[in-house]
Amino acid sequence: MGMNAQGSMAFPQVWHPQTAAEAWHLKQSFGTDSVYVSGGTLLRTQWESGVAAIPKHLIDLSAIRGLGEIRIGETGLVIGGQVSLEACRTHPIIQRHFPIVTEALRQTAAPSIRRLGTIGGNIASNIGDSLPALLGYNAHVVWYNGMEDLQITLSEWLKIAGMLHTERLLLQIQLPFQADETLEGHEVEHLRSVISKTKRFSAYHKVGRREAFTPSVVTASVSGSLSEKKEVNEIRIALGGGQMIAQRLEELERELLGKVIDVQLLRHVYNRIMQLYKPREDLFASVSYRKTTAAHLIASELWKAAHQ
Amino acid sequence: MTEHSKQAESTFALRCVINGEAQTIETTASARLLTLIRDELELTGTKRSCDIGRCGACMVLMEGEAVNSCLAMAYQCAGKSITTIEGISKGGFDPIQQAFLEEGGFQCGYCTPGMIVSVKGLLDSNPSPSEDEIAEALSGNICRCTGYGGIRRAVTRAIEGRMLAK
Repeated sequence: MGMNAQGSMAFPQVWHPQTAAEAWHLKQSFGTDSVYVSGGTLLRTQWESGVAAIPKHLIDLSAIRGLGEIRIGETGLVIGGQVSLEACRTHPIIQRHFPIVTEALRQTAAPSIRRLGTIGGNIASNIGDSLPALLGYNAHVVWYNGMEDLQITLSEWLKIAGMLHTERLLLQIQLPFQADETLEGHEVEHLRSVISKTKRFSAYHKVGRREAFTPSVVTASVSGSLSEKKEVNEIRIALGGGQMIAQRLEELERELLGKVIDVQLLRHVYNRIMQLYKPREDLFASVSYRKTTAAHLIASELWKAAHQ
Repeated sequence: MTEHSKQAESTFALRCVINGEAQTIETTASARLLTLIRDELELTGTKRSCDIGRCGACMVLMEGEAVNSCLAMAYQCAGKSITTIEGISKGGFDPIQQAFLEEGGFQCGYCTPGMIVSVKGLLDSNPSPSEDEIAEALSGNICRCTGYGGIRRAVTRAIEGRMLAK
């Protein structure tokens, strides 16, 4: 049984701002005595385990207008930060156009938790299982800085995760459609001829310590496209797992562009992942285990992309 | 700041429907649903165990879908319809409960209310789930004594029973 934080806690006050600006001001007012809360599922885990103290104030983001919907925007799919993980998991457009996000969410917790937990909370945690999959589609995030909405790539958001104040407020996630999904007319015809000779691939793996509903030891995604000659046209490799902030291996991605996937290149991929991937060790898995696992996963998926 | 955003009272009147009956519970906004169900309403069929959403013993239906009552806070339940294991058996044994009995889908029984609730939520929305869908729906319910063979048989029997009853 857990430590029963509920039994000993002074109950926090819960605030329900209607706008991002209101939420921001509340956070400014209460400072470290407060946290933003979406579904609250991760926070509850942290409180019960003693990892985080229960704050005096919870700033509930669920009432902020416009953050609870999924809609098609000008350049891609726009997912409000308050959309539940389960709603994302079962959304037909996400299933069709962003299948490794669906797969990542299928492997995130259990449905009962996904109905409470939100995609915004999963991202804001910096360690959520959805992150490598979202990085695989070059997702962008929109966040509020107290004055205006700002948009940056998810990759950049994660790089500065430890440097920004906790006040930054995630509003939306944007998943860009592939070029062939937004063009019209003759552009489509031209692109179709190119695409017919191009092979798209994507894969997501979560390695845990049991089959279902397990914390991640290694989380990996790879996506991109190959030419007829198995040359890498585009590629994104993202890794996470445990308490590590998910990252893209952009250096390796650049090294692979234009290269033919063969045994020599796969050896290179393996060795570079061993160098570039920086997981954190914990009681359950060593750094070496995590690196080896990630290197095998990505190399094998590239081999499959080229040969199946 | 709007008036609504200022509503952060130290007490909170949770108005919701539990097992078909309208309830108003004086509590705090961040109180756990599990605590309210067990301690305020004395509906002790919902079990407390891990407190962090891992085991599923505290599962209830919220608007017909399974959620962990140890994770849900009072303010998140406002205006919602909650069904506990007592609500499922309000009119007598539910066919899902009968199937668990007949197939030996339990041993100590502590996880069983949560299992029944999860199966109820699944079959009400998907009367003919695949093996994978059953596994996913029950992935948040842990049994530590009898294993899952009997539970899987019980779910299969419940599906068949509901089909025949139609």
